[in-house]
Parts: sequence; C-alpha cells; structure tokens
Amino acid sequence: MKIERDGERLCVSEINELTAANSSNFRDEINSAMTGATVVIEIDLSKTLFMDSSGLGALFALYRATIKREGVVLRLLNPVPEIEQLLELTQMQQLFEVVRR
Amino acid sequence: MKALLICPVDSTAVPRLAESGPLATAPILGDCVVAHWVERLAELGARQIEVIAPDGADQVRKAVGDGARWGVRINVTVSRFEPTRQEAVDKYNPAGGPDWLPAPYDVVEMSHLPGCPGLPLFESYANWIAALTAWMPLALTPARVRVSQVRPGIWIGSRAQVSPNSELIAPCWIGDRASVETGAVVGPGAIIEDRSVVGTTAHIAQSWVGPDTFVGRMTSVANSVAWGSTLIDWRTGSVLHVPDPFLLSSLSESKIAATTDRFGRALGAKAPTRKRTELAKAMGAPRGGASDVNLPA
Repeated sequence: MKIERDGERLCVSEINELTAANSSNFRDEINSAMTGATVVIEIDLSKTLFMDSSGLGALFALYRATIKREGVVLRLLNPVPEIEQLLELTQMQQLFEVVRR
Repeated sequence: MKALLICPVDSTAVPRLAESGPLATAPILGDCVVAHWVERLAELGARQIEVIAPDGADQVRKAVGDGARWGVRINVTVSRFEPTRQEAVDKYNPAGGPDWLPAPYDVVEMSHLPGCPGLPLFESYANWIAALTAWMPLALTPARVRVSQVRPGIWIGSRAQVSPNSELIAPCWIGDRASVETGAVVGPGAIIEDRSVVGTTAHIAQSWVGPDTFVGRMTSVANSVAWGSTLIDWRTGSVLHVPDPFLLSSLSESKIAATTDRFGRALGAKAPTRKRTELAKAMGAPRGGASDVNLPA
C-alpha cells in the first residue's frame, strides 16, 4: 500500500486486497497520515481485487473518521466491477463518493 | 401423440446456471426448464416424450422421472451432441407422422420457455432475467398448486413465510418454502426461488435469487443473478464470489459441508452436522418449516 500526500489531498493506492489480514493496518496508517490540513482522501481501488467484510469495515471506520472532521471528503477511485458489486450489495456505495477517472 | 425435447448444452454465456447440473435442469420459478416444457407438451396432448440429453442425462431423468406426474411417458436419450431442430426432425419424424404433435411442438429446442420463443434463456444473464420476468405471469399453470397469485403481479409459494412487515412490489415471485423477513423489500422484477431466505431489511429488485440462497440482512441485490455465494451483475456480466456468508451464501447441505472451514467456526457450531433450517436460524433467519403465508399489509 502506498500513501502520498499532495497538499490537502491524501492519496492511498496499490491496495491489492483489503481483508482481515491487513484492514487494521490500512485503517491505522491512513489515520496516522491524516493531518489537520487534509481535505480530501482518495482511496484508489483500481488494483484491489479482493475485499471481505473486514475490508468493508475498515472503509466504514475511515468514513466515520472523516465525518468527525468536518469538510473532509472521502473518495473511492476506480473500483473494479467486483468491488463495486460488493459496495452495492452492502449499500456502502451510498456512503462514499465513487469516482471513475 | 409424440413430441421430442432437445436439451441445450452451450453454457458459455451463463456458466453459473450450469454449475449444479445441465441447463435443462436449471431452476426456474419453482421447477426446471425441462419440467416446464414437459408440462406444456402434456397440455397440448403429448403422451410420449423423447428427451435428447447431450449432457447430464441422469440429472434430466431425475428431474422428470418417468413422466407420470404429467400423465406422459418420458424416455431420456443420451446424445453425443446437441442436434438442431431440423436434424432431430429428419431423424425422428421425417414424414411428419400424424401421431406427433403439430409443429413447432413436435420437436422443441429448450432454448426458451414455453410461450416465449423470442426470449432466449441462455444467451446471457440479461436474457435469463428478461425471459423469467416475462414468463412470471405464464408460470402459474393449473398443475402448479404450490404457488398462488395473492395480488396482481405478486406470486407466493404456499409454504413461504413472508413477514407482514415486509414490502412486496409487483412483479415479484416468492417461491415455495422461501422466507422474506421483516422490513425486506422484494420487487419490482424480483424472483426468489424455492427455499431461499431474504434477511431483515434486505432489498431485492430486478434480480433472480436462486434456490437455497441466503441473502443477508441489510443487503441490496439489484440488477443481479444471485445464487449461493455468487453474485452476477446481469448488465455487465461482472461476477463476484461473496466471501462473507452473512451477506450472501448457499443454504444447501452440500454447500454447507464444503464451506465448513470458512464459516463454520464463525457460527461457533458444528456446521457439517447442522440442518439447513438450523443454519438459517443461526444466520438470523426465522425458524424453518412449513407455515401459513403472512402477507404484508
């Protein structure tokens, strides 16, 4: 997983899978990387081929963390169709801004 | 009168439908394709039906038996390939014998449902959904006593359990022994096959839920073919194998045994020895078994 800071933007990419094995680490690393200046968090899911409920839980935890910080936007970028299906199945696509670029 | 049915073979566009058996035995509104066709041909007067089965002949035989259920005699013949209609006519009824049903019912390729020749079943998942949705009003034949139309466009199996606090939106079909729990929204365009469970506040729309499938609470199945733990978006063909059984999973005994390692421990119980109803209960479904239908207000 790669985390890059670009001004007010925090970009998280190269996530191959998001499961019970790495979801805590994923959540903690992003939380640590967030600063008071962070306005946008973009999670690039274009390389994420597998996600389970722990991964969904990590995304939800991140969502909760961002709504506590008013004005912070959380975006999911380019999810593969299977992950998009999972987000729709769990109705979590309603929580996130899902963007295709 | 005689008739001949040709079982379809090519499942390349719809592989999930052929995982449990040949396409002719794919479950449709409480029965299977071949059974629906036998029933139709029997209504038209057929008394002797030959079924050509290029694959899975034993499963086809199991699905139709000897035909006594419809008052016909059925013989299932194994074939090495799927003959075209013309090839079958040339071989079995070249002279157009008077003891055969009139065309086109003398020889039928089961690539569509009775009465829906323009709606192919197996060319894509989108076609599968379109054909089943169109066929819903035609599925309630006099021979089918386990399902009734309770309101216009809403069909429910006689042993289904439907919470009075659920919402059913026409058209929808809830199969025999299926369960729809409180707060669930089923329809429009939803087909829940036999023995499936729709969990609390789950939403099903424009989708087909295969038999013995558990749809977990708060999940949303839209524009999909859902069978066991497989979820297919019929618009895009995207296939997702849902990893968490509390979201979407199979309730059939064989699947339970196969997935014991994965989620048996999560249930804190001896899953392989559990019966389907016990597992469904553990996952949040109501108690299984026959009961009266409770219609939502």
